[in-house]
Amino acid sequence: MSNVKSIKSQKKFSSSIINKKSIPYLLLLPAFIYYAVFWLAPVLAGMVEVFTDTNGNFTLTENFKLMFQSELFDKAVMNTALFAAVSVVLQYFIALLLAVLLSRKFRGAKLLMFIAMIPMAITPTAVAILWKTGLIKDGWLNSILMSLHLIKEPIVFLNAEGLAAVFLIILIDTWTVTPSVMIILTAGLQGIQKEFREAAYTFGANKWQIFKDITLPILKPSIVTSVILRLIAAIQVWAIAVMVLGFSKVPFLVERIAFYVDVVPGVATSEKIAFTLSFTTTIIVLLATVIYLKVANKKPSKGGNR
Amino acid sequence: MDKLNIVQKTVVSIILATMVIIVVVPILFFLTVAFSNDVEMTQFPKRIFPSFSVTVKVAPAENGEYELFYDKGDGEGYRSIITTKNATKLENHFKRQYGVNISGEKLLEDFSATRENGPMEFTYRKDLLFNFKQFFAIVNNSSKALKNSIIVALYTILISLSIGSLAGYAMARYNFKFKETINVGMLIVRMFPVVGISIPMAVLLIKFGLFDTLIGLAILYSIPNIALTAWITSSIFIGINKELEEASYIFGGNGFNTFMRITLPLAFPALAASSMYAFLAAWNDTISALILTNENQTLALVVYKAIGTTSSGIQYAAAGSVILILPALVFTFIVRKYVNQMWGGVEL
Amino acid sequence: MSYLVLKDLEKRYSKNGPLIVNKMNLSIEKGEFIVFLGPSGCGKTTTIRMISGLEEVSGGDILIEGESILNKKPRDRGVSMIFQSYAVWPHMTVFDNIAYPLKLKKVPKDEIKKRVYAAAEAADITALLDRYPAQMSGGQRQRVAVARAIVVKPKIFLMDEPLSNLDAKLRVSMRTELKNIHNKEHSTTIFVTHDQSEAMSLADRIVVMNKGVIEQIGTPMEVYHDSATKFVASFIGTPPTNFFSVKLESLGNELFAVSKGFKYKINKEIEGPLKAYLNKEVDLGIRPEFIGVSLDGKKDDSYLCDATIEFVEPQGTHSILITHIEGEEVKIMTTEYMDIRPNTRVSLYVKDGKAMFFDKETTKRIK
Repeated sequence: MSNVKSIKSQKKFSSSIINKKSIPYLLLLPAFIYYAVFWLAPVLAGMVEVFTDTNGNFTLTENFKLMFQSELFDKAVMNTALFAAVSVVLQYFIALLLAVLLSRKFRGAKLLMFIAMIPMAITPTAVAILWKTGLIKDGWLNSILMSLHLIKEPIVFLNAEGLAAVFLIILIDTWTVTPSVMIILTAGLQGIQKEFREAAYTFGANKWQIFKDITLPILKPSIVTSVILRLIAAIQVWAIAVMVLGFSKVPFLVERIAFYVDVVPGVATSEKIAFTLSFTTTIIVLLATVIYLKVANKKPSKGGNR
Repeated sequence: MDKLNIVQKTVVSIILATMVIIVVVPILFFLTVAFSNDVEMTQFPKRIFPSFSVTVKVAPAENGEYELFYDKGDGEGYRSIITTKNATKLENHFKRQYGVNISGEKLLEDFSATRENGPMEFTYRKDLLFNFKQFFAIVNNSSKALKNSIIVALYTILISLSIGSLAGYAMARYNFKFKETINVGMLIVRMFPVVGISIPMAVLLIKFGLFDTLIGLAILYSIPNIALTAWITSSIFIGINKELEEASYIFGGNGFNTFMRITLPLAFPALAASSMYAFLAAWNDTISALILTNENQTLALVVYKAIGTTSSGIQYAAAGSVILILPALVFTFIVRKYVNQMWGGVEL
Repeated sequence: MSYLVLKDLEKRYSKNGPLIVNKMNLSIEKGEFIVFLGPSGCGKTTTIRMISGLEEVSGGDILIEGESILNKKPRDRGVSMIFQSYAVWPHMTVFDNIAYPLKLKKVPKDEIKKRVYAAAEAADITALLDRYPAQMSGGQRQRVAVARAIVVKPKIFLMDEPLSNLDAKLRVSMRTELKNIHNKEHSTTIFVTHDQSEAMSLADRIVVMNKGVIEQIGTPMEVYHDSATKFVASFIGTPPTNFFSVKLESLGNELFAVSKGFKYKINKEIEGPLKAYLNKEVDLGIRPEFIGVSLDGKKDDSYLCDATIEFVEPQGTHSILITHIEGEEVKIMTTEYMDIRPNTRVSLYVKDGKAMFFDKETTKRIK
């Protein structure tokens, strides 16, 4: 009798163990399935596409050749690299400067924060239109410049070519992004315990030394994290370039993808090029992230002196 | 230690004021463009604030016609625009050029006063919503696109929140093997470049027959958003004291009940934030919509196509953009305090 | 000449705002261990921050060795500070943390090494020099803060509640270590705390502060047995002093402290100054250890009243008895009747005439 009872209660016990253990996995199951079907599958399928030619046979380099030879590809890579590097450096430099100034409390700070977040909240498509209204020959940018007597004749911004065009895009992007980065850095600065700086001050550090030796190093991890996100976004720039200046004027990686999807779709090679481009862009993003993390997290080997 | 003297304070104020001006001025000009009529678009220099009315000067001419003059504000005074006595022509002119809705007969009636008094000025109220109406009238698919955007956004919220909050709860409340791996995995999915998936996704959707559908778009948008929702909700679940749930168990609640009645309501801010991000991701995206749709376009896509390569009619695209950015602005205002964490600005 | 002098020191945060520190006057000799003691908001931290140079002075002066230091930067004042949160920089190793002040002074590398090692030894953390603060416990980080403060050989050590974030046991052991270091380095120290037993253990002299004002400056014994104000009597000592509101009346030829619950005959020795308060209301304070308990109905001159013991809290070396007189809780510390049962009716009397009387308006002790 007692044997049967104890077996029964053991069973109950063990089935409740199984249940408890499996709950997290059950909860995660929908997500797993979703990602397996809608993320893993497409990513793998995409990779397969990249390595099969238009006849369905395996090829290692055929599609890459197509891509490399495609219109403006080399320019697109150069521009993307230039844009990503310059815009991130420029934006963080300015944002840090502003953040240091802003990190003191003052009236209207909250309102300022909200205003600063607006450009980033506006979708790139709308930003492009916003700036296009200004950059056309009789747009408001020329209007301002002329009324300030900075120029005599209106500048035809939209005819910009090559480097000048890239810098135009960089400026627009900076307008959009810098205020938000400034807010993030300000939050980071305020998160640093006041006493860290005060201690340095009591030991004789001046404002610059406090910034260089205490504030900046402590802020570094937050800066690194946000730079990565910015970098990833910057590598995928396209909308501003296309909408303000038009396709093929200022090629970027994703701009090329949009080109092959929007302007010349339906051609088998276009598809392959688009696939390969998106694959390449993804790899570039991954590489950039990894390299950046390695470089940024290298601990300078000073101090210790043992 | 942190005190600034007067000079330093002034410098700081100037720099901050400059920043505000640089941000706000372009936005103001842009908004004005969205409210400008055709003639104002050709004016130079540009106005920073929209005008609410249009002033024309009318002089009587021969054959019962009237000559219309308009001051472009470029210092050259009133210029002759059109001479006519045709009511329809006048009505269309006022509508197209000035965005003023008024019947041709009424205009002729008003202008008849000039026969006696000589040239006079007439001021008419501008229809501020003219450009918006035009946008929906002229731009292909625009009203449908607006509806589509809303629907896609709602689908995205539904999918992301339901799957994501379950995952977030699992991550918050349980310790299990592979937890770290899953964490990393979710991070990767969140930051994965969308273009890497969109194109293969197009093929997949075609297979499922979901290409060019709203649900197809929502599926794509949900990919990073599920992980994002999981991240946001797990943070708040961790914050919700486990004892609140345990109390429910003691009083007889089961797991599901507790989750629905106690945990979920307490997690509301996280759900609200996740909904916002999901909504905006769907609402704002252009490239994926470009790749994954043909007929069923979203508002963002429609605005993108509206820009064209010419700059005429840009005020309508501007009006469309204003509609496009409205939700984002509202949301940003509401959650302005919490946006920081999304960007990894604070190292935990 | 006094080493450190605070003259009419004042601090307010806004033009017409309240005075956080109100005309503080204090003279400290070289080598003294001074404790600023008081509840939160009393101004003790603000004062020490003004001495360090982290806060601006609103009024008055601070002099070190006769010279005003108001215009000097913290480094030039010769002070060193230990913060309540230790403020040990998380991105530097322990070695770099301690070395930083010397680096700022452009001290040559090998001398830095020597001095850092010496300071680390004094604080007993030589084994941790390579570590980062995140890898250490609170107590260890505190020692790093101490070592860092020592290494610059300051004239004056300022310590802002350095032990408050440690657990009870560690707090007590670190107490002695800090005092040790103070003695070995022959330094002058100002130590801020809200813990009165800490103050009593460490101080040469205690500065008791309340609401920006100094209530009393004295040795631990002085502030305990010779409390200058009602606040000091209530703040120092655990369990705290028992207070009663009494009226001084003359019955026959004797002066009595009269309240609803009792009539206490005032000792002839302390009678003098009290005579001026005849028929007036004053505060009577008696420390728990000076309320005696008697089971034999003793009703001599020191008799206070009868009472029923409600709770007994045995502490091993003594017991705390809790009762109520006139509805107010009264705590008694006894070593004789440690086993007494609750609900026992007893007689209470005042031991050794140790009754303290305070002026109701000025709160000063009447003596």
